[in-house]
Amino acid sequence: MGKMDYRGIAKPTVAIVIVVVIAVAAFGTWYVTRPGPIAEPVEVTGLEVKAQWYEDDPGARAGWSPWAVNPGEDASIYVEVTNNTDTDQTYSLNLKVAGVVYENRTLELTPKEKKTEKFTYTTQTGVDWKYIIDAAGVRGNIISGNPPVIVVVSDIGGRGDLSFNDMAFKGGEEAEERYGYHMIELISTTEADYLPNLRAAATHERANLIVGVGYLLSEALATVAEEFPNKNFAGIDTYSRFVIPSPNMLDIVYEEHKGSALVGALGALLAAEYGKPHIGGVFGIEIPVLWKFEIGYKWGAKWALEEWLPANKPEKKIDYTKEFVLWDYTGTFSDVAKGYEFAKPMYEKDAVTVFNIAGPLGLGINRAVKEVAEVKGLGSGPPFWTGVDANQDWINPGFVIASMIKRVDYGVTYAAALVRENKFREAVEDTGGAITLGIGTEVLGEPIEGISVSTLADLDEFIDMGVRAEQVLGKKVLPMPKDEIKERVETMREAQESWIWEAIAELEQKIRTGEPIADLDGDGTPETVPLAETQEPVNYWRGILG
Amino acid sequence: MNPKEKRPQKIVRALRRLVKPIAESLFAILIGLLIGALLMWLYGYDVGAAYYWLFKGAFGSINSMLESLSYAIPLMLTAITFLVGWKSGLFNIGAEGQLYMGAIGAAWIGGTIALPAGVHVAAATVVGMLFGVLWALPVIILKLRGAHEVVTTIMLNWVAYALVGYLVIYHLAMPGAPFRTVEAMESARYPFLAAGTTLTAAIFVALAFCIAIYLLLWRTKLGYELRLAGDNPEAAKYAGISVRRVIFFNLIIGGLAAGLAGATQVLGRPPIWGVYETMGNLYMLGFTGIGVALIGRNHPIGAIFAAIFYGGLLHGGTDMQLYAGVMAEIVMAIQGIIVFALAVPELLPLIRKKLVKFGKVVKRKGR
Repeated sequence: MGKMDYRGIAKPTVAIVIVVVIAVAAFGTWYVTRPGPIAEPVEVTGLEVKAQWYEDDPGARAGWSPWAVNPGEDASIYVEVTNNTDTDQTYSLNLKVAGVVYENRTLELTPKEKKTEKFTYTTQTGVDWKYIIDAAGVRGNIISGNPPVIVVVSDIGGRGDLSFNDMAFKGGEEAEERYGYHMIELISTTEADYLPNLRAAATHERANLIVGVGYLLSEALATVAEEFPNKNFAGIDTYSRFVIPSPNMLDIVYEEHKGSALVGALGALLAAEYGKPHIGGVFGIEIPVLWKFEIGYKWGAKWALEEWLPANKPEKKIDYTKEFVLWDYTGTFSDVAKGYEFAKPMYEKDAVTVFNIAGPLGLGINRAVKEVAEVKGLGSGPPFWTGVDANQDWINPGFVIASMIKRVDYGVTYAAALVRENKFREAVEDTGGAITLGIGTEVLGEPIEGISVSTLADLDEFIDMGVRAEQVLGKKVLPMPKDEIKERVETMREAQESWIWEAIAELEQKIRTGEPIADLDGDGTPETVPLAETQEPVNYWRGILG
Repeated sequence: MNPKEKRPQKIVRALRRLVKPIAESLFAILIGLLIGALLMWLYGYDVGAAYYWLFKGAFGSINSMLESLSYAIPLMLTAITFLVGWKSGLFNIGAEGQLYMGAIGAAWIGGTIALPAGVHVAAATVVGMLFGVLWALPVIILKLRGAHEVVTTIMLNWVAYALVGYLVIYHLAMPGAPFRTVEAMESARYPFLAAGTTLTAAIFVALAFCIAIYLLLWRTKLGYELRLAGDNPEAAKYAGISVRRVIFFNLIIGGLAAGLAGATQVLGRPPIWGVYETMGNLYMLGFTGIGVALIGRNHPIGAIFAAIFYGGLLHGGTDMQLYAGVMAEIVMAIQGIIVFALAVPELLPLIRKKLVKFGKVVKRKGR
């Protein structure tokens, strides 16, 4: 830079800069401390839809103008009822709050008469959002301006993973639709964000349920649940109850072993049908949850070969050996290339299907299948692979025989329902802090399931998830148009012998009853699908199943 | 400097030296905010609400300020790694890997070896710093043999990633949860400074380290040598400054800083007090330090403020998602834009220098 004479302008420049700095600082302070604009309420469904009524009773009309309310405030609800008929009518007017009748009034109206009724309701956190007005078949939902909030805190990745996280958000959306919640997504950039994110979520005035998605959030959830005893916390796959048990912290866990047994049996029967020597399993990191998958998968395969086939299809019978299931832990839940690397030798050993138990590594397994298909010029399996968590059948239609679906979304929606019905803490107390969703499971005496083998029927739902992901990510996700996917999956399913699907249905039925199914370990007493969550049973079953 | 200069003019000069970079940075923030606003406007977000919650979330209450400080701890330290290198003309981007090593060192001492309280936390911190240095040693050796530090540091970052992942799973794993290391024992943890935040006393260690580096650079002979080697390599050579010595001490300091950053994330940040196999709680802290160093105008004290500012952006982003409903990806883009805009003033002279050099080369070739 050239030499410049600053002397003349130095002082005014410095003065101006100082003034600017002070002004900016002052503005900043004012800006931050003033009561701010709140971006919510986002949607005020009830206000926009002025009236909803069923056409089957044209006689009555209801209109209302609810005031947006905060917990603890009075909500005034004006209901305008008009008798449009030519005769005297008696209307029964119900104000329902969260499905329960809060107040009931009887109205007598002469022809063409219009009456306005005012209801006053003191709101409470948890049940303040939904008013249903019934007037003799006339029903309308009022969702107040400030619906309660469910915050879904995802682990790293957030939307677009097409399985775990997307399923959780789907559950949140379902809670919005069904119970009038407003869902906020909070995506963690790194694992250092969990604690601050959960605290911020719990600080939200109207948040009454905070859901952490994934076992990595266990410690953070436990810590924050203890700090905010008035809020409700739920975790998917978490073990927070072992970190710090709290009356407001609910772990939601799944019976992965049962679902794995079903797809294990499916794989084994396919091997029998096609005369293949192996089935495979590519696992992620060796954590207790994955042990459940592993032992369940092998147990199901052994059941199919040693119990079902001899009894039902003796001509197809093959022996279960310790080498029948090829399995390996990759040590990662993120490195897609490892999925390919581990699956390829399994297909080289002629495995009929490989079970993906490592989230995104399924895409690597898919690549290995694609290679085989290209070399052999196949339009459909075998070889297949087996999906996990979501219905992944659409990823490569014709080559994904089925998926073991873990309804993470049901878990989230169910937790929201528990909060709404004021049963959340009861459920925590009743279950010791963890509810289990699986096959034939019950919570508080009500059946609630969360594990299944994919069917054609639920394919649509998951293709839509792919469509949604395409919108979010702005790139192609679905391999082909929706109809074509469905057609191919259907063709693939029909191409398999029907007895295979019948056997799976039979096993599912047996699992659902909870009764002992078969004695596969040879200890003299039959057992149901074993639940192996600690090293000891894992070693025991590996000794038997390979 | 002219000895006849009047006093007021001296003050003016001193003030200008201080105010000019601050004014430039504030102007850069403004530009960054404007570009960010444009982006959010394009996506249809309420810009006012978004920025309101960004700054409110960052500095709007005592707790959020403390939380922002907590985010700042590792960033100011990894910024030191980069800026010290920059002062000597080195482009040291090895903080990421050295930070992983520092973290695993601290997790090892903090989680497996029982020591009395006080001694334990100090020992774990020091071992963390030494692990950071350990990862700087190959860089030094290779640099002295002529390998460029950009190449060696970036490759060693990945080696550290794999090595630390291996150590977590196979040697330091928590029983029943092999995706993470054992927790640092109570005696090895920095005490909390306030309930409801993640801020621990590790902040004092980080601040002390930054100030020590400032004193080292401007108050010692070694510091003078380090700076001169960067400012004017020719002059440094004539002054008899050993390049090898500069490289050695420079990268050692960098390793210490990054190692300390890693240690603070294990011993000074709840709730896991350890290292994830995925490095999820450490990931990107080293690289972010580069941006922080540039925002802080490559000055150790500037780095402190820059780190607090950036920590605020990180923490404020949560409220931006929560209350203004801005998508996480957009939040990250806004943070990136602001950081980029802020780094420009520091990068301009460098770009100008390169352009001039390039111009000369072109001219010479033209002849």
